[in-house]
Amino acid sequence: MNAFPWLSLLTALPVVGAGVVLVAGARSDRAARFLSVGFAVGALCIALLLWHGFDVNVGGMQLVEQHAWVPALHIQYHLGIDGLGLSMLLLSAIVTLISLGASWKIEDRVPLYFALILLVEACLFGAFTALNFIHWFTFWELCLIPAFFLIKIWGGPRRTPAATQFLVYTMAGSVAMLLSFLAMYLAANTFEFEELATIAQSGRLLPSLAASSSWMHLTPEHLGLVIFAGVFLGFAVKVPVIPFHTWLPDTYAEAPTGTTILLTGAMSKMGLYGFLRILVPIFAPQMQSVLTPLLWMAVATVVLGSLSAMAQTDLKRIFAYSSINHLGYCLLGIFAAVRYAGSDAQLLTQRAAALSGTMLQMFNHGITAATIFWFVAILETRSGGARELSDFGGLRRNAPVLAGMMGIALFSSLGLPGLNGFISEFLIFKGAFPLATWATALCTIGLLITAVFILNVIQRVFSGPLQERHSNFLDLSGKEQMLLAPAIALMFLLGLDPQILLSHLNATVLQLTNTIKF
Amino acid sequence: MQTHYIWQYIPLVLQILVALAMAGGMVAASFFIGKHKRTKVKLGAYECGMDPVGDARGRFSVKFYMVAMLFILFDVEAVFIMPWAVIYRQLHTITGQRLFGFWEMVVYLGFVAVGLFYVWKKGILDWTNTSSRGDL
Amino acid sequence: MSTNLLALLPELVLTITGVLVMVLEPVIPAGKSRKPLGWLAILGSLLSGLAAFYQLQIVNAQGTLTAFYSTIQIDPFSIFFHLLIAAVVLVTLLGSLDYFESPITHAGEYFALVLFGAVGMMFMTSSVELLMVFIGLEISSISTYILAGFRKGRATASESSIKYFLLGSFATAFFLYGVALIYGATGSTSIGPIAAGLAITRTPTMAILAVAMVLIGLGFKVSAAPFHVWTPDVYQGAPAPVVGLMSTAPKAAAFAVLLRFLFNGTPMLHGHWILLIEILAVASMCLGNLGALKQHDVKRLLAYSSIAHAGYLLVAFTGTHQNAVAGACFYTATYAAMNVGAFLVLSQLSGFSERIRSIEDFTGLALKRPGMSALLGFFLLSLIGIPFTGGFFGKFYVFSGALQNGHVWLGIVGLANSGVACFYYLRLLAAIYSRPTSDSVAYIPVRKVTAPAAVALAATALATLGLGILPNKLVHLVERATPTTTAAVAVQPTQQ
Repeated sequence: MNAFPWLSLLTALPVVGAGVVLVAGARSDRAARFLSVGFAVGALCIALLLWHGFDVNVGGMQLVEQHAWVPALHIQYHLGIDGLGLSMLLLSAIVTLISLGASWKIEDRVPLYFALILLVEACLFGAFTALNFIHWFTFWELCLIPAFFLIKIWGGPRRTPAATQFLVYTMAGSVAMLLSFLAMYLAANTFEFEELATIAQSGRLLPSLAASSSWMHLTPEHLGLVIFAGVFLGFAVKVPVIPFHTWLPDTYAEAPTGTTILLTGAMSKMGLYGFLRILVPIFAPQMQSVLTPLLWMAVATVVLGSLSAMAQTDLKRIFAYSSINHLGYCLLGIFAAVRYAGSDAQLLTQRAAALSGTMLQMFNHGITAATIFWFVAILETRSGGARELSDFGGLRRNAPVLAGMMGIALFSSLGLPGLNGFISEFLIFKGAFPLATWATALCTIGLLITAVFILNVIQRVFSGPLQERHSNFLDLSGKEQMLLAPAIALMFLLGLDPQILLSHLNATVLQLTNTIKF
Repeated sequence: MQTHYIWQYIPLVLQILVALAMAGGMVAASFFIGKHKRTKVKLGAYECGMDPVGDARGRFSVKFYMVAMLFILFDVEAVFIMPWAVIYRQLHTITGQRLFGFWEMVVYLGFVAVGLFYVWKKGILDWTNTSSRGDL
Repeated sequence: MSTNLLALLPELVLTITGVLVMVLEPVIPAGKSRKPLGWLAILGSLLSGLAAFYQLQIVNAQGTLTAFYSTIQIDPFSIFFHLLIAAVVLVTLLGSLDYFESPITHAGEYFALVLFGAVGMMFMTSSVELLMVFIGLEISSISTYILAGFRKGRATASESSIKYFLLGSFATAFFLYGVALIYGATGSTSIGPIAAGLAITRTPTMAILAVAMVLIGLGFKVSAAPFHVWTPDVYQGAPAPVVGLMSTAPKAAAFAVLLRFLFNGTPMLHGHWILLIEILAVASMCLGNLGALKQHDVKRLLAYSSIAHAGYLLVAFTGTHQNAVAGACFYTATYAAMNVGAFLVLSQLSGFSERIRSIEDFTGLALKRPGMSALLGFFLLSLIGIPFTGGFFGKFYVFSGALQNGHVWLGIVGLANSGVACFYYLRLLAAIYSRPTSDSVAYIPVRKVTAPAAVALAATALATLGLGILPNKLVHLVERATPTTTAAVAVQPTQQ
């Protein structure tokens, strides 16, 4: 049962790293920076090793580790990964490296900063591998603490309200989720995700819920909806789904850009991961019964997210809203996949397409958004902290390489064929269209608006007259080009050959598709 | 013959009468036999040595309070001996041990003694010494 | 050793050391350090903990002990609280050994009073007779009244002491009135006979009134709203280590009495008192957390937080008997660990004179005292209830018990409250990790943390962490605590 504890090792490595960075980095900031990169590279290596050793034909959990933790409360130390978990581990490892790279210029309390980044990474690894609710929840909540401090200590001028808002919002969501899981625990006597899913799919969850916590004379169906609402709220705040998104723009804008990269690249995926790992297997019937409002939320997230992005003038805020918009496509994919549109076998393929698209989009958005924010960080440092669109213009003349590389990342975000963003969005739309036609049609508006505001950014930043103060704006140095190149290369790679990733996701997608019953 | 229970209290009534007679007799005797020198102080109202008329917010030594407090403490502690004494003869049947009640009271008095020792050492009984230990 | 002496062994040890400390105090010349007395007191609390452990061995082997005509009962339940109180006292003593900045002549009395207070608290938890409980309550209360005013000569200290004394005596009167009424209704003041008497009583209204009175009296002691108004003022004026002690140990004892009284004494009236408990719990959680939101003084903030935590603890009472006891015991233990820890950090930072008080004073603390800040931050996170800390499992346990018994609203209100609570804890946390303003850090002294205080801090931090990572041991202990109590109380008192 218990293989070599690769996953525990992967989670423990950044924690050890954080300790080492704090101790050994106390004397020299340089040492702290390099040590943390060393540990992050180590984690990436383990993640790649896992990728290599992963059995692509198995849809279930691999590398499972299971130990009793608090037997009296049925809490287990239970780890394992499937294709989804694996891709998220890889994404977290890559995004952490990008975040470290973008944070290189941090000068204040360097060891602490880099140690906290590594701690966030550890929590991400923990959350993406845990299969027991309490075990998972521990990392889910713990992740907030280093993120809070990263925003609080190194953030922009309005960092304190932003950090508090971030933590309080997410805590409120988690609290609702905890309550729902407590109710399910009392009904099913287990915290195991897989067991809960099995019980739910066999239709035994609702009756035992009604028996264990009869509340306000609700029918089992309504009780199920209430429980679902609690869990949904927890994830919806994290993703975020409009209208639970109000914490995000402030947080992303005030956080140091390196942290924003982590937040958007990896932590927002925790919410979507929860949708796929928990909501779809356990709550598919509940989702189906409120699917129309859910689809409207997805549409709102896509359309309003992009519209808000268009209205912003601050680069970080633009991409904060753009991030909301892109994750909206994932929501569309997930919600469409659980929609009943006939019992045609053809539709099974469409569901699979929508779900693979969603998982692919999670990965792609992580890479693309992290890279874009890295470029924003570069622009910010070079211009002495300026982030307004009107602060820039005509940079193409002085910094053609920067303009070119950032342009690639932006086009990837826009969904240009040949780059990674296109494939995943295409898969989502292809799968979702026959399943939820009206919602998909409405979401295409979002695609259009995204194109508008991204082209607008490109035009305002790189074209037009060069401003006086940027007259000696430096282009990317050779070192910077070398560091950014892998990220850009990854965009091309996944855009041209998405099968690299899809091959690892297929079995998982199929298994997930089969759990959706009507 | 069954006597009425009220007759049991005859000794008590007698005691009260004797006490009244004794006290009244002494006061009367001193009034008739003693010499009388009427001074202002002697004719003033007796209030434990304090001037009965004056500013209500006048200050007086905190030692008065300390003594009053100590008096109440030790008084209450002494009162506990009463019920013990009343049932002392039956105690050995209740506890099943012959001298249990005795040792119990010894321990209790030990605690009272420790209290007295503490108060003494703290210098609270030391009325005159200004450099007393208890920095009140 | 006779059963009677065995049953009171931890209390006896504490009394003897307390008296010794008190007698030695005036013998030591003025101006000399009182530290040896502190060490003696520490030895005493250690020994009493060992005595409680010895009792546990005996109870394990022979079953529940009763003594003094069934007024004292030693079972895993009372031993759990004995151990907890001994631990809290030990840690408090270690933390306050170097708390007095100059050799103050009362330091000896301070140590003695802490021990005497512990005697009262332990006595409360092992009594199954309400008058005995009352005696314990008074012993513990009077000690804490004096300790609250220990920073003599300061207006806040006097306010603290007097307010606590006056309101406390008032509340104890309510408790006593309740005991009198329950005697009137059932003809007994012992827990077991009360339960038996309630089964046949013809005056249940009187009994209900009695339960309400007892709830008022003990509600005051645990600072449950609406009997909480004293808490912020008293905590603000009292010395920080004393606040750590009095916000945990006497509360634990009062909760122990409540558990025994409500579940073993008046299970017949469950339908009536459960409503009162619910009202107290909701009021405490909401008023505590809302009150804390606008506090500036850190001790007042933690005072309101302790009101809220009393509310969380009361939520445990809505579970079944076993759930309630297990949940409440677990929560008291975790709360004791994290709250004593938080106040220890405060006392180490601000010292006897308490120069740094308000949240603004803590601005930039992390730069000057990184270790202390990390510890305080950790305790605050535990108070919020973040996983990996004891606070999380405490809340988890309490709320799952309430949900299990169908109190969904209470669970929702409670968890919503813990969301609100994270707001004000974060305010303090945020201040600690802010960039210092020009004058804030100036007040923060660089006092060296002495070895005993370091041990105390490490112990509380480890306990908080340990309860968060490996709560299994304690879960087992507290789940075992209940059935014995029920069985013992149901059977034993009728024998005498």
